[in-house]
Amino acid sequence: MSQPKEIFVKTHRCVGCLSCTIACAVEHSKSKTLFGAISETPVPKSRVYVQWVEPDGKVPLVCRHCEDAPCMYACISGAISRDENGVVITDTDKCIGCWTCVMVCPYGVIGRHLEEHKAYRCDRCPDREIPACVSACPTGALVYDTVDSFSAKVRNHVSRELLRAERG
Amino acid sequence: MYPGSCFGRKGDNVTEEKSKYIIVGASAAGMAAAHTIRLHDRQGSVTVLSEEPDTPYFRPLIPFVVSGKKRAEDMVLSGCGPYTGRDIFVRTEARVESVNTAEKTVSVQGSGVLAYEKILFATGSRPYIPPEIKGTDTKGVFALRTLAHARNMAKRVKTSDHAVMLGGGLLNLKAAFALLERGLKVTLVVYSPEVLSQLMEPEDAFLIRKAMDTAGLKIKTGCAATHIISEHTGVTGVALDHGGEMSCRMVCIGKGVRPNVEFLNGTNVWIDGGIVTDRYTACSAPDAFAAGDVAVTFKPGSGDRIMTALWTNAVEMGRCAGRNMAGVKTAYSGTLGILNATQVAEEPFVSMGVVHTKDRDFEVYRHATDTTYRKVVFNPQGTRLMGAVFIGDITNAGLYRYVIRGKMPVMHIKRYIMDHTLHYGHVMTGKM
Ligand SMILES: Cc1cc2nc3c(=O)[nH]c(=O)nc-3n(C[C@H](O)[C@H](O)[C@H](O)COP(=O)(O)OP(=O)(O)OC[C@H]3O[C@@H](n4cnc5c(N)ncnc54)[C@H](O)[C@@H]3O)c2cc1C
Ligand code: SF4
Ligand code: SF4
Repeated sequence: MSQPKEIFVKTHRCVGCLSCTIACAVEHSKSKTLFGAISETPVPKSRVYVQWVEPDGKVPLVCRHCEDAPCMYACISGAISRDENGVVITDTDKCIGCWTCVMVCPYGVIGRHLEEHKAYRCDRCPDREIPACVSACPTGALVYDTVDSFSAKVRNHVSRELLRAERG
Repeated sequence: MYPGSCFGRKGDNVTEEKSKYIIVGASAAGMAAAHTIRLHDRQGSVTVLSEEPDTPYFRPLIPFVVSGKKRAEDMVLSGCGPYTGRDIFVRTEARVESVNTAEKTVSVQGSGVLAYEKILFATGSRPYIPPEIKGTDTKGVFALRTLAHARNMAKRVKTSDHAVMLGGGLLNLKAAFALLERGLKVTLVVYSPEVLSQLMEPEDAFLIRKAMDTAGLKIKTGCAATHIISEHTGVTGVALDHGGEMSCRMVCIGKGVRPNVEFLNGTNVWIDGGIVTDRYTACSAPDAFAAGDVAVTFKPGSGDRIMTALWTNAVEMGRCAGRNMAGVKTAYSGTLGILNATQVAEEPFVSMGVVHTKDRDFEVYRHATDTTYRKVVFNPQGTRLMGAVFIGDITNAGLYRYVIRGKMPVMHIKRYIMDHTLHYGHVMTGKM
């Protein structure tokens, strides 16, 4: 079986343009268009967050669909499960909005839909080949790849940089 | 029905049967253990025994049966979330009366003796009914713990107009809101100066109190019930310690829980309040383990003994026990005694770690706005985060929990903690 792909973040590439958050909200809107999305109520929510770190760091954060997903084991209603692609999903019908998952996820990537009183998170865009945030990122800060392939590339990249540094 | 499940009931003959793994208790801890065993041992027979008539369910959801918002079928555990293991045999109405730890057998009420190689005690807890309240044994007096209780409560609602709730803890609040939703008048009688005294101090609770008042809950603090007044149709009122009386057709007692350990009377299993466990969730008898509300465990770091009454802890500990039972030696990391998230009326809140600071030597920082409140508790030196209460805004609560539990040094991130602006980006960029 081929390894499932994941969303990786290259922090140093993020310029904080928020394209990913807009694309995510649009993808999770009813109309799936920017124009339609902004006039919908409740306002469609992004599931990716760009955090700011002093003095000028920007860090995109999104659910990692953790191997040992603490949120899934903590959920008191059985609303969180893992699908056959390894994606950790929140079943909105089952969710009772107790926020236990928010209390255990260290990454802070579970949103609280206040109007609906439900938790929401990244669903890896089931209708798309490549998640909307990754497609929208203009700088390549978000990468959709398998663990092996991504780490190989990062290793190559790092070793190239080391090589360059060595050569001066 | 979920294809991986198999269920049996009372009267199924178990004489001279043997199961490699026996789990007593089919709730958070027991079912988490059963499914974990399956991940590591595909062959060994796993039998889960429960005295309840219902197949396993998500216990924290039972208030929704009272409010009518969910049906029992919507709370079934098997097949949901992480509970998808196969070939786990659950026997309902199977009360374990006694255990012979030398012969390694359990005696099941009405259906004989069952032998085990490894056993888990996950019998949880039951509501504590204070003996000083007289006359509790009458129709219409409840202590909400099981699906069966919830069904009975839902029935009683039809003949009630006023419910009196004794105790201001979280479970009773949940029951109170369920009854409010059914249109009853609901009065909470709380002995402490404020509601939720286990989870926060009185001055921390004002936003929650406000939300409860707005929702229409009546609250009497600093007073206790002395006895339940009743006639042949059941409860008709409650007498209070300061002399007053309240008429009502329904009473719900929420005065904490006590572990179910009686079935171990006469065994050599070490009981001190609950079943005492070691770092590997084992108890003092051979090949026997304990997890969940019934177990005495420890706090991370200090190692102080505690008992908790939390679904999340029960699952975590049950998973750890399951690994150990299947031969994958795994140390339990311990747990915070307070680790609660919920929403009361329109107010979300999280309470974790050390939150009671009155007359104790901690560095405490509080911040209140019209809609939010937070209290963060540091050690006396101010170098480590010990606990936190967030009300109204619970953003990133999980990261704070991580910092508390990991006893991380916080000097360089303390400002973010106090401002409630800490996020995982600080970790990723090496600020933490
Ligand atoms: C209304 C309500 C709301 C709650 N909300 C929350 C919440 O929001 N968050 C949270 O963390 N926790 C919550 N809790 C607490 C949580 O439900 C418990 O901590 C959790 O269920 C403990 O799990 P356990 O497996 O240890 O035992 P229990 O759930 O108590 O289950 C014990 C099991 O043992 C069986 N049993 C007992 N004695 C015997 C015997 N002698 N023989 C055979 N079987 C036996 C019972 O049938 C049952 O299957 C709530 C509880 C209630 C009642
Ligand atoms: S919500 Fe958080 S804990 Fe759960 S899988 Fe995603 S990153 Fe992991
Ligand atoms: S908020 Fe919803 S998904 Fe999260 S733990 Fe509670 S019920 Fe489960």
